[in-house]
Amino acid sequence: MLARIAWFEIRYQIRQPLFWIAFVLYFFFTFMAITTDAVQIGGSIGSVNRNAPYVIMQILLVMTVLGTFLTTAFVSTSVHRDYETRADAIFFSLPLRKSDYLFGRFLGALVVALLVYMGVVAGVIVGSRMPWLEAERVGPFLATPYVYGTLAFVIPNLLIFGALFFAIATLTRSLMYTYSGVVVLFMGWGISRLLLQDLDDRWYAALIDPFGGAAFRLVSRYWTVAEKNTGLSPFTGELLASRLAWLALGGLALGLTWARFAFSAEGAGRERRATATDDVPAPARPAAPATAIQATQAAAAPATQVFGTATSWRQFLRLVRMEATGAVRGVPFIIMLMFGLLNFVISIGLLERIYGTPVHPVTYLIIEAIDGTFGLFAFLILVFYAGDMIWRDRNLRLSEMVDALPVPTWVFWASKLAALVVLLVVMLGATMVVGIGVQASRGFVHPDILLYLKGLFLVQGIPYLFLAALCVFLQVVLNQKFTGWIAATVIYLASELSPLVRLEHHLYRFGSAPESPYSDMNQYGHFVQPLLWFYLYWGCVSVILVGVAHLLWIRGTEPGRAMRLRIARGRLTAPATAFMALALGGALATGGYVFYNTNILNHYLPTKTRLDRMAEFEKKYRQYENLEHPRITDVQADVDIRPAERSVDVRGHYTLRNKTDKPIPVLHLYLSPEMTVRRLEIPGARLEMEDKDYGYRIYRFDQPMAPGATLLVSFDLTRSYHGFVNNGAPTDLVYNGTFFTNLDYFPHIGYSKQLELDDPNERRRRGLPPVQRLPKLDDATARMSNYLTSEADWVHYDTTVSTSSDQIALAPGYLQREWTENGRRYFHYSMDAPILDYFAYLSARWVVKRDSWNGVAIEVYYHPGHTYNVDRMIDATKKSLDYFTKNFGPYQYRQVRILEFPRYASFAESFPNTIPFSESIGFIARLDDKPDSIDYVFYVTAHEVAHQWWSHQVMGGNVQGCTLLSETMAQYSALMVMEKEYGRDTMRRFLRYELDRYLSGRGTERIEELPLMLVENQQYIHYRKGSLAMYALRDYVGEEPLNRALAAYVAAVKFQEPPYTYTREFLDYVKQAVPADRQSILDDLFRNITLYDNRAKVASWTKRDDGKYVVSLQVTAAKFRADGQGKETAETLDDWIDIGVFGDQELKGSSQGKLLSLEKHHIDHADETFTVVVGEEPRKAGIDPLNKLIDRNPENNVTNVTAGAAPATTTVVKTSG
Amino acid sequence: MTPELSIEGVSKTYPGGVRALDGVTLRIPAGMFGLLGPNGAGKSTLMRTIATLQEPDSGRITFGDIDVLKQKDAVRRALGYLPQEFGVYPKVSALEMLDHFAVLKGIVDARRRKETVEAILQRTNLWDVRKRRLGGFSGGMRQRFGIAQALLGNPTLIIVDEPTAGLDPAERLRFNNLLSEIGENVVVILSTHIVEDVSDLCSRMAIIAGGRVLQSGDPARTIDALRGRVWKKIIARDQLAAVQAEHTVISTRLVGGRTSIHVVAPGRPDASFEEVPPGLEDVYFSTLHDAGPQDAGGRAA
Repeated sequence: MLARIAWFEIRYQIRQPLFWIAFVLYFFFTFMAITTDAVQIGGSIGSVNRNAPYVIMQILLVMTVLGTFLTTAFVSTSVHRDYETRADAIFFSLPLRKSDYLFGRFLGALVVALLVYMGVVAGVIVGSRMPWLEAERVGPFLATPYVYGTLAFVIPNLLIFGALFFAIATLTRSLMYTYSGVVVLFMGWGISRLLLQDLDDRWYAALIDPFGGAAFRLVSRYWTVAEKNTGLSPFTGELLASRLAWLALGGLALGLTWARFAFSAEGAGRERRATATDDVPAPARPAAPATAIQATQAAAAPATQVFGTATSWRQFLRLVRMEATGAVRGVPFIIMLMFGLLNFVISIGLLERIYGTPVHPVTYLIIEAIDGTFGLFAFLILVFYAGDMIWRDRNLRLSEMVDALPVPTWVFWASKLAALVVLLVVMLGATMVVGIGVQASRGFVHPDILLYLKGLFLVQGIPYLFLAALCVFLQVVLNQKFTGWIAATVIYLASELSPLVRLEHHLYRFGSAPESPYSDMNQYGHFVQPLLWFYLYWGCVSVILVGVAHLLWIRGTEPGRAMRLRIARGRLTAPATAFMALALGGALATGGYVFYNTNILNHYLPTKTRLDRMAEFEKKYRQYENLEHPRITDVQADVDIRPAERSVDVRGHYTLRNKTDKPIPVLHLYLSPEMTVRRLEIPGARLEMEDKDYGYRIYRFDQPMAPGATLLVSFDLTRSYHGFVNNGAPTDLVYNGTFFTNLDYFPHIGYSKQLELDDPNERRRRGLPPVQRLPKLDDATARMSNYLTSEADWVHYDTTVSTSSDQIALAPGYLQREWTENGRRYFHYSMDAPILDYFAYLSARWVVKRDSWNGVAIEVYYHPGHTYNVDRMIDATKKSLDYFTKNFGPYQYRQVRILEFPRYASFAESFPNTIPFSESIGFIARLDDKPDSIDYVFYVTAHEVAHQWWSHQVMGGNVQGCTLLSETMAQYSALMVMEKEYGRDTMRRFLRYELDRYLSGRGTERIEELPLMLVENQQYIHYRKGSLAMYALRDYVGEEPLNRALAAYVAAVKFQEPPYTYTREFLDYVKQAVPADRQSILDDLFRNITLYDNRAKVASWTKRDDGKYVVSLQVTAAKFRADGQGKETAETLDDWIDIGVFGDQELKGSSQGKLLSLEKHHIDHADETFTVVVGEEPRKAGIDPLNKLIDRNPENNVTNVTAGAAPATTTVVKTSG
Repeated sequence: MTPELSIEGVSKTYPGGVRALDGVTLRIPAGMFGLLGPNGAGKSTLMRTIATLQEPDSGRITFGDIDVLKQKDAVRRALGYLPQEFGVYPKVSALEMLDHFAVLKGIVDARRRKETVEAILQRTNLWDVRKRRLGGFSGGMRQRFGIAQALLGNPTLIIVDEPTAGLDPAERLRFNNLLSEIGENVVVILSTHIVEDVSDLCSRMAIIAGGRVLQSGDPARTIDALRGRVWKKIIARDQLAAVQAEHTVISTRLVGGRTSIHVVAPGRPDASFEEVPPGLEDVYFSTLHDAGPQDAGGRAA
């Protein structure tokens, strides 16, 4: 019987259009994802094969997430259908067993849903055979990933969600509750995404994510490209746990359904019960006697009806109140609002964490969190209620009565639109109240109410008005509630996704406007103007939509299409026509003005077109890459910044010198096309070619420039921003917080490799050869330039910079003079020694805090109010200067300046004695409440100060490994200062983050991973692996010997002229600090990609007579070498690895116990057992317990020590203690 | 002086091809007007058209000097409309809902509105249940609520579409009493397929079927016109076909297991027939019968 009911269900649902629509959609979507980059499922796949097992598993997983609504539809309709068609009474009277009916239906619906996923499978298989795919990106067909994905994700997810929604649908008989269930699950998914960012919460993340996505991410997080192309994730650990836990929950739901389901027409349905009891006849009353009737009739007489505009408004207000209160009190609204708020509150807990350290809950972050977490709910509420309000009277069969009332037609739609606005205001008000509450609960008691009003109600709120208008329009025009809902969703998705196909203009992406990030320094700044115009434009469009809705509004019986148009014509009265014309005119005028700004005053370039241009530039001018040019030796510039006008003038001159031994006949110049050239003088040369589109010029000398000759190039340039752009408004020149460098604002000598496209796939698509990130290590010619620029070596630098009277303007160098002239402030800065040809200009309204260390002036220029960590920065600067001067050599300057710049970018960057530091990374970090949180403000400051040595003294040549000499060494230097300040336990936690980021970074590699020594500007290597390698090296060699070697190296190569130093030379110095028998660690750390898989297996202790504890520890160790694609080969073990034992926790809340013993042991076998004697009762023990080595499963290096007899020894026994 | 409702040549064909109204012409003066016809006759279409809820393809309707098809707002101000089927907000009380309707009817003065609503509640005998949720109302209470909202604001054109369908006899009686109280000075159109409602309440009537007006006038006069031409006979059930072939059978009804038929003929067809005094029902069925192959099946109260 069960099978027959299931079969009936399958046959029924397969004949429904929903099944076929879903199937085709799934097929098509997957097909597109496989064959194009325009559609991505679960994020970009980079260089991984298009049909890699990882990709297949990921697609199947993500499609089950997207398919939740589908599963819900199939499963809930399987029961709901009977209630809706009132067939329940028939079914329930049949001789069926409850379980047959329930589970038969359930099973049938599940099979149908499963069939839909075959569309995904077909999409991958067919897609990966398409002839236009790059052959190198298609792997062989493998059946296992499909089977695996189906078994691990598709079927469990169908079962889980099917069971949950089946339970809700069956027990509540309410579609609303069922869909609310879906929303709850999505919250679980969203929260797990946030938790994943924090290392310690990952297990929770895996369990909370109902789809198993977080678990899959965890098990596959460190996969390299090679592994993604071949591997299947092991079905263990987080993945297994998550699947089992959720399946159990699903099973529970099914059981509950079965137990609670009443197999009768008077089932558990709430609405049903309500009417059943209330539907008793009114108490029969005798007809009122005739006299009474006369009396009441007389009383009824004087009802005064008044008509006119005032009455219409009264009616409007009454309807708004009715609609809004009805909705606000309704269960769907309350549920969605609660979910939205909950989602928002949870996200705040994880706000902008860096290394697990939170930030102060400042108002703009709260507002951004609302945007990111509450937006979806606001969207759902508006779309849902627009349909609900417009259809309620018709669904309740009240419309005939209401439509015949003497109410103007506009009152009907306007009241519903206004009620939607009321809902919106209630929602935003609620988020604001909750936001302020959250701020207060974290001790942040200065909520910026005005900013809430601006950011929440205007910037975020106004687009929802457009959405409301669109929904009303769609519901009226399409005249079908579901279609209206779907159409609104599709329109929003389309405007969200259209950039993928180069359609980026906000003029046709409904209700959208350019991003408008907020910064405390610059506030909404120059983003206000485009926002205003786009909002005006969409406002006019919305008015048109509402106007059309008015014309087509159905009043009374639904007319046919022709009749609707006839009625609409009838409603197009003179005022209505004038109104529409006005709106249309407004839309055209504002749209035209926007277009004028974005496309005529500025270039409108979709992202991909921009890439095309980069490719074009490279194709045209790369031929000049190796041309010899004179180098800049002196830079003098007068820079006038006009913040209010967002414009800047750059006047100055370069002194060039021919440092080669040959005459130079031509001079190539590159200037950003954004700059307007007023004057550009190259004495003795004529302009041979000028490409204004790309800013490339070629000058030919009348007499070739002789070796050793010098030349004075002078220039007068200006840049100003006119109007506004569609996207990516420049943030370098702003009202408060200008920050630009010579890269974009000064002329450049020769072809600039920095302008090349670096994504290998984008290059291939545009017919460019594979990118060469850096010349080979031993390319001696390349080392004749430093890696920063080939235009100069060390330059003399002198600049005068001016700004408006209320701001301070800064550039590297020492302030020589400051004066005011014509209402502007001037600052003359000069350097007394040559610097690298890289300098920055900043201007803002700052507060300055000054301090000093051994005669070095320390200054922090910060935004008023951002005082939280200023002292910490000064402290870090002092301690860094102290450590670096002691260990690496003297500091070359007499000042260190830290300058806050707006959060449009989040980095800090070291210029000579000047360090711009983003508002978002440190100025609002919250470091006071947890003693062991990682102080990244300290870390970033120390890192940047270290660059004064490792960049501004030691500069690598432009070959592989060059960033080791700057970034890796700055990391190492910062780590040492930090360790002094915060101790080894904090360092251990810091390095866990570094390890995690290194290992996950490997999976996103687009070309090939390289050993540290050969790093090609790969951040996950030079920062993350660099930290680990240098820390491990310090551990083997000792801090002092290592620093001695480094100091010698600095002394040898600092301020060096070409050829520049490189990592071979660096390692030659380091080598001297490494004992002869341990030289192989340099191979492991620098010359190869080395990975370990160390594990503690069992540990136990026995107490000795002398009161000491003997710990016996069984471990396994393994070592691998990986190639650039991540393919591993086993390596013979011949390593010195830590064996450690931990006791009780030292500090409450500290993650690890007190270290009782830690000693390096020589390990040359995979399985070994160690015996360690310690003085206190041991708790944990392990191999490489502090995670100094690169190990993909760092968690299993340590195990609990149990009391009892020592385990049987295996291969080798080594004793120490 | 109450205006007269005049309907001239109103036709309506639905997109599906169904001709709902076919040149309907009627003059409806003040007083209760019964619109009688079988299901699907076009009654509701006509009612909705008068109530501004639907557009005819052609024709003209005036109410006094109001052009009903063009001056919809003016019609709505004078209108009280009780549709054939209607719902309510289930969670709202009768009092609140009537107050709401009163605002929408233009009674904006709060004190006046309160008086009016309370009076209407009294008049429709809903006073005691005014605070109950409408969702809990019985069918009869709901119909009375419906007429209560229709009567708000003293309308001069009242349209009630099949108000008694589905009511039990006691509720129907009560409802009809209510209708009969409505003043003589307003136009009241009562559409129904229950002949008795018309004969009980209406001073004028029209019979409509297939979208056409088959007959209209004073019920008493139309009955008189049939006097002496209606004959009744009790027959066995299997004889029906034979009798139908021979005579103009306008109605059949079962009486104690046997079939009683009414036949229209200028004189007594034969001795087995006995003359009966005609009722409105006979007028109705004979009119439908004359009109052609309509479903004139013996439907009667």
